[in-house]
Amino acid sequence: MTAYIVRRIWQMIPTMLGVIVLVFLLFNWVGGDPAYVLAGKISSAEQIANIRRQLGVDQPYYVQLWIFIKQVLTGNFGASWSTNEPVSHILATRLGPSLTLLIPWLILSTLISIGLALAVAYVRASLTDRMVMITCTIGLSISILVYIIVFQYVFAYKLGWFPVQGWGDSFWQNLIVYASLPIIILLVVSIAPDLRLFRTFVLDEINQDYVRTGRAKGLSENRIMWVHVLRNASIPIITHVMATLPGLLIGAFLIERFFSIPGIGREVILAVERSDFPVIKAITVYVAAATMIFNLLADLMYKAVDPRVQLK
Amino acid sequence: MILGRQVIRSYALAIRLVLAALAASLADAPAWSADPDKVLRLEFYVAETGFDPAKVQDYYSFVVIEGICDSLLTYDYLARPAKLVPRAAEGLPEVRDQARTYVFKVKKGIYFASDPAFNGRKRELTAEDFVYSIKRFKDPVNHAPYESFIDGIVGLEELKKKAEKTGKFDYDRKVEGLQALDRYTLQIKLKDTDYTFPYVMALPNFAAVAREVIETYGDDTNAHPVGSGPYRLKEWVRSNKIVLEANPDFRGFVWNFEPGADPRDKEIVAAMQGKKMPQIGRVEISVIEEQQAAWLAFQNGELDILHLREQFAPIAIPGDKVNAQLAAAGVTLNRTTDPDLNYTYFNTTDPDFGGFAKEKIALRRAIFMSFDNAEYLRVIRKNQAVEAQYPIPPGVVGYDPGYRTVVPYDPVLANKLLDYFGYKRGGDGYRTWPDGRPLVMRYSSTPSSRDREIDELWQKSIDRIGIRVQIDKNKFPEELKQERACQLLSRTASWIADYPDGDDFMQLLYGPNSHQNNNACFQLPEWDRIYEKTRTLPPDSAERSRLYRQLWRMAEVQGVWKLHDTRYRNMLVQPQVIGYKKHPILLAEYMYYDLDNSRRRK
Amino acid sequence: MPFDIPHTVSPSLWALAWKRLRADRVAMVSLAIVALFVVQMILSGAGLIAKDWAKEAGVNYAPPTLQGPDAESTGPAAAAGGATTAQAAAEEPTELPVQDPLADALAAIRGETKKPGGTEAAAAEGQSVDPLADVMADIRAKGTKADVAEARAATLPLGGDKWGRDVLKKTIKGSETSIFVGLAAAVVATFLGTVFGAAAGYYGRWLDDFFNWFYSVFTAIPYLLLILAVAAVLQQKGIMTIVLILGLTGWTGVFRLIRGEYLKHKGREYVQAADAIGASNARRMFVHILPNVSHVVLVQLSILTVGFIKAEVILSFLGFGVPVDVVSWGSMLNEAQNELILGKWWQLAAAGTAMAVLVTAFSLFTDALRDALDPKLK
Repeated sequence: MTAYIVRRIWQMIPTMLGVIVLVFLLFNWVGGDPAYVLAGKISSAEQIANIRRQLGVDQPYYVQLWIFIKQVLTGNFGASWSTNEPVSHILATRLGPSLTLLIPWLILSTLISIGLALAVAYVRASLTDRMVMITCTIGLSISILVYIIVFQYVFAYKLGWFPVQGWGDSFWQNLIVYASLPIIILLVVSIAPDLRLFRTFVLDEINQDYVRTGRAKGLSENRIMWVHVLRNASIPIITHVMATLPGLLIGAFLIERFFSIPGIGREVILAVERSDFPVIKAITVYVAAATMIFNLLADLMYKAVDPRVQLK
Repeated sequence: MILGRQVIRSYALAIRLVLAALAASLADAPAWSADPDKVLRLEFYVAETGFDPAKVQDYYSFVVIEGICDSLLTYDYLARPAKLVPRAAEGLPEVRDQARTYVFKVKKGIYFASDPAFNGRKRELTAEDFVYSIKRFKDPVNHAPYESFIDGIVGLEELKKKAEKTGKFDYDRKVEGLQALDRYTLQIKLKDTDYTFPYVMALPNFAAVAREVIETYGDDTNAHPVGSGPYRLKEWVRSNKIVLEANPDFRGFVWNFEPGADPRDKEIVAAMQGKKMPQIGRVEISVIEEQQAAWLAFQNGELDILHLREQFAPIAIPGDKVNAQLAAAGVTLNRTTDPDLNYTYFNTTDPDFGGFAKEKIALRRAIFMSFDNAEYLRVIRKNQAVEAQYPIPPGVVGYDPGYRTVVPYDPVLANKLLDYFGYKRGGDGYRTWPDGRPLVMRYSSTPSSRDREIDELWQKSIDRIGIRVQIDKNKFPEELKQERACQLLSRTASWIADYPDGDDFMQLLYGPNSHQNNNACFQLPEWDRIYEKTRTLPPDSAERSRLYRQLWRMAEVQGVWKLHDTRYRNMLVQPQVIGYKKHPILLAEYMYYDLDNSRRRK
Repeated sequence: MPFDIPHTVSPSLWALAWKRLRADRVAMVSLAIVALFVVQMILSGAGLIAKDWAKEAGVNYAPPTLQGPDAESTGPAAAAGGATTAQAAAEEPTELPVQDPLADALAAIRGETKKPGGTEAAAAEGQSVDPLADVMADIRAKGTKADVAEARAATLPLGGDKWGRDVLKKTIKGSETSIFVGLAAAVVATFLGTVFGAAAGYYGRWLDDFFNWFYSVFTAIPYLLLILAVAAVLQQKGIMTIVLILGLTGWTGVFRLIRGEYLKHKGREYVQAADAIGASNARRMFVHILPNVSHVVLVQLSILTVGFIKAEVILSFLGFGVPVDVVSWGSMLNEAQNELILGKWWQLAAAGTAMAVLVTAFSLFTDALRDALDPKLK
């Protein structure tokens, strides 16, 4: 086991290097020149040159790349080019709001999806099953943009049940007041595809022999579903959840933008618009690292839940 | 035994001294009476960057900075057109040597807000602080965006060059053009005559900061603005929320402005005259980027004043009056024109479309004549702008309301002009160059949805005269870069005045400003000569206005710019806001108006 | 023998799948709907319908016919329709002593029409009056509006957008673009994923390691950043840019699946048999194995198409959508963003509904297809 973990961590290094080089190439080459934005309304070529010197982008590429690598190793990406805020401070302060949205959402989404999947699998091939599945399909065929626009208009504005936008100071206020509508929208968008997927996983299990054995033994259907089937279906479910986790941070950018939530997703868009390379670098590297680590965790959990699995 | 006369006299003297001291201390007591229950909620459409006046350049950062730091001059809250009045200075500056020398007297008894950088002492504002604050713009480390505004000061350039060589800026070295003659007197000497310089000293960029504060906070000055103004920074969640609170060390002032021609001024004066300012104790600013969210937030009562986006003008202020629902809630409309100009330029140094040969001029003019400003105003601006016929907008010195263009909307004439100069139509209906090469106009814009609307209109317009257009999408920084290198062919740009003088606009066409603000890279020696002459004339002279008209006509006939519009700034104001009047230049008007919480809805 | 021994030919995978599909009513309905959209797409692409989608048939924001016209749209502004800067054009340009280089040309254009006395008098002073004044007056007298206001409708079947373009036609034309983008990008992504997956799964060893590394790097970078970066690299405009953006970033799922399939099939007997008869690697990969994994490829193609049609909407929001002279559902939804608040709901409804119907039908059909091809999964 330890050998496996060590090997996996060892394999992360070339991947991380690949990520670093790819990000560096892409954003240096085509990322836009921040000097012009910082220089402002009136600027001479000399001022531009000065800014580039201050930012360190006038150095040759290999020097900049080496600096980047050092930054990854030390975890210190310097300060934002446009606001001078230290990047670590940016990440630390923006992570909170993003997680306040994502963690409750993840928990609710997974629980509801699993519960519904089990329920629907219970009545599989019936009319209910089909209707629910078709509703899901319709649900996920509507763009999230449409959901946001319509929900914000109807529930926040017309009915006044939620604030239209904003973020507060206290954690509980944020969670209960400001994050509610965003989380509801995220749930609507995520439960549909998740339900379809989990239903497939559950059905895979229901067709297995051990279920028939269980029924023959006289176990109640409930026990079979909630204890045995769920346990086995949880493997692909967990894998799926873990794999999608790191992408969620940035993926919620639309919600953050429309609801003015100071999270990481919104920060990324701002950084790209301003060609703020330190912020882009830092977020990419951290998300990449998180993706790899979560993949490893998923595989380990997989093994923990199902001892038959061989880890290569 | 009776007391000797000596003794009585000395007692009397003592008593007099004590009384005098008491009186003096009472006079010194801050007139500040801001009410902490008066909380003003505002919104920003675009995120701020930071609050160091030398380092930032965006509008919204300065809305905050202007409330925190004092500049020498400012503008009268009510007077229109905008009128300079003193702020940290005692009066308007003394002008000598044909506007080459300016002498400012700083008011005595102004103190910075207390800050740990001052080590517990009360810190008075002096002329030296302005010397320091202005010098900061030439320090390479700050790469100050507004550096060129003080290029005219004698001796600063040398200091900058030395700093570039040695790597460190020498703040203690004396500069001939920027001196504190004594504790409260500031003398500035310019290289050339410049009548617009006082406007520069009214910019919040050149407000006073304290050297100790800058040196204490080093790289983090954006988060630690310390000034002598009416507010200070209480809380800051970057790109999300800014909270200002009234500065307890502020000297205070008494609201005292004369009403102008606007009938509403009298109401404002009646409500505010004589009040001790600032009244508002706390200002909370939220950054709301999505139009819908801001509009809905205002309607929900979450904001006190809203800069109404164009998109919602048709329902919020149909027919230029607030709609029934808003009117019932007591919301009023406060409208002004921004001193801004939106125009489309042609790069006159472009190898294909540029130059001043007749057929090239005809091509550019024909393209300009195909664009219908009325449709632009109606559909894109939702009638929330006025068509611009002159490059200087209303409210700015030098504006000419009577000027009429020689390049109107006229697609028929445009087509005839192109036919005349040999731009024949090919088999596909689109025109080619006279020599037969395919003719494609390149137009640059950003991927924003506003730019997309304008793209659509240009696409339609140029189609009318049978020319193909290629729309290049670039992010704004990339666009700027190519523009500065004179590589773009055309783009729709805007310019907003930093100060209300026509020169700020005319300089956009001045040859030597190519690669900077002269985005058309327009260089015509004859034009430049006349422009240089206008720089030697006082701003309100008839001669200058005459020369401006000539300059603009010259640019017009050469097909350099197509003017579009000047925007309205529509502010929706909740009933609890008292004495509000949007100023075309001032940013931190919150120090001049008041809140009445009893008038809030529900 | 006087009678034939009946024997049945073992039906192929595809024939069996088709039989199962035929029996599934939902699948058939979905297929019909998808086919309808495809037919519409072809017709629109050939220019037979919705060709003039960009024409401003209605007034700005014309409401749908069922709702009835707006109050303002029946007023004088609508009557004016195309006629626009009547005021500005009617005004004489300011007279200034500035020479107009086009003076001669403009004079020649208007021919030998009258010259007002003013020009001569001014010329006598040695200064030229603004020469275009005559031209303007003359042409105005003749009438300049080339695009004389055709009557612009007060309502349109599904309403009009801000320029007055017909939303129904936009929706039809938009479906052509969106479906094309979705399909083309899916083809690109599937192609890349299949080729990479086949190479990695079949050859194994260092090639597999390389592709796995590449895959890890690609999936480690946040999707949004990848999109923005690729969009910035591909400078050329047009629909193909979007197809490439989506295709070049969306191949990873296919890669993993196909690689898995090839790994599975590599050791099978029929492949060994092919080797025994001397088939080359390439032949084995693409002639022997590929047909056996083609059902996986097809299902993936389907899934990706749906995903990319939806992704195009987000791309439009970010500003990397279709160019201005093209309409797609994404561009319509993007425009509709700010229209709902003004009470103009029809563009949002039209594009949203059309997209929902197509995507739902496509998804249901994909499900049925997958079930039909691999009946173990029920």
